[in-house]
Amino acid sequence: MNGFLELLSYPFVMRAVTAGTLISVCASVLGVILVLKHYSLIGHGLSEIGFASLSAASALGLPAMAITTPAVITASFIIMYVSQRYRTAGDIAIAIASSAALSLGVIVSSVSGQTSNMSSYLFGSILAMSDSDLLLSVMLSAAVMAVFILFYNRLFLITYNEDYARSLGINTALYQAVISVLTALVVVMGMRFMGTLLISSVIILPAVTARQIASGFRLLVVLSGIISLIAFILGLMVSFMLNLPAGASVVMVNAVILIIVKVLFRK
Amino acid sequence: MTERLRLEHAVIKYGDNTAVNDVSLSVCSGEMVFITGANGSGKSTLTRGIAGLLTLSSGTLERNGRMSYVPQVEEADRNFPARVREIVLTGTQRPGRLFYSRDDRLRAEGAMRELGIDGLADREIRTLSGGQLRRVFLARALCGEPELLLLDEPCAGLDAESHEVLFSVLGRIIAEGCAVLMVTHDVSDLDWINASRIITLSEGRIKIS
Repeated sequence: MNGFLELLSYPFVMRAVTAGTLISVCASVLGVILVLKHYSLIGHGLSEIGFASLSAASALGLPAMAITTPAVITASFIIMYVSQRYRTAGDIAIAIASSAALSLGVIVSSVSGQTSNMSSYLFGSILAMSDSDLLLSVMLSAAVMAVFILFYNRLFLITYNEDYARSLGINTALYQAVISVLTALVVVMGMRFMGTLLISSVIILPAVTARQIASGFRLLVVLSGIISLIAFILGLMVSFMLNLPAGASVVMVNAVILIIVKVLFRK
Repeated sequence: MTERLRLEHAVIKYGDNTAVNDVSLSVCSGEMVFITGANGSGKSTLTRGIAGLLTLSSGTLERNGRMSYVPQVEEADRNFPARVREIVLTGTQRPGRLFYSRDDRLRAEGAMRELGIDGLADREIRTLSGGQLRRVFLARALCGEPELLLLDEPCAGLDAESHEVLFSVLGRIIAEGCAVLMVTHDVSDLDWINASRIITLSEGRIKIS
């Protein structure tokens, strides 16, 4: 414990903890909407498309974020549209697109001799967080919080019944677009430290855990954020103390919390 | 009487399948219009088209005034984490207004009271029966103070007491000038209220009006 607190005195660790915590909380809050709308696979699909973009950008010597961010945002729009329009076929489309993107990323990394970066992309690196990442994660968190506070009533209605919202004349496509962009940004930011294979867990697990306890939408959103915060800090502590990969440790702590809650609050 | 709904030569298709074929109708304020027909005759598709949830392949749709729509209960996610009051309040939402006013909350409470579900206000919707959820949906629609009310099979599975409550509320809002268009597959629903018109659909077309 003392060792962990001592580590926090290093600026790079503090930066990673702060940025990681903010992104995890954002991911878990957005995760509530994605889980309730049965879009759980989207985070997974987007992160693997992000991996392919990162690999391509790295192979071509292009700036990673400048290539990955628009690619993942575009993919987010397409995946949400396909999921909404074709339901079951949407899941199949996400599974195909994500595995194809992952394969493409592996091939591009391999051909371009960038395999050393591959592990960092797939499993993340806590050291990947820079000062600009910290600033971006603060801005992203502010945007997510603002959207949830300002548009809470709309998000509730659209998540519960999008058709009914449309019948009231509400522009559901606009809110869908906002959620798509925010989800894409969370995935792009989060996959740097969690890794492309694990970021979707941070989106889904806290929301699923909170769902076991919370009886209302508002409580579900708040609890999901709190669970994510606790799991991230605990996960990092475990990672530092046992010298384990940070992303994997955070996901394992999330999974353990889910199992405990599932047993204690059996509905 | 103000015309609240005018549909002319409406066609709605799912791919190559024509679900609604050349349907024209109009509903004015204070009218109660029933749409009946067998399963698959296009009743719900027509209602969803009028509600703006499906695009007309051809024809024209004109709506005039505030509209509320009561969908079938089967379309709802019964496990969604929400309480009755939260669902009813959503009926007051309108484009451009992000927060509920005190007036919205009062209207929600009034609608729940009228439909006899005020005692369920803090219950989670997953604990409700189908009949109770139908009342919740009707309360949600009433909150929006509709001038045109669309109901898709609101009586399915309702007991006699719920029928009485539903038709008493419909009678009141019709007397106040609301135009009501109600889809039902059960012709015994017609015994509960005086209909202005009864439209029977068959294979997407108006068979009898």
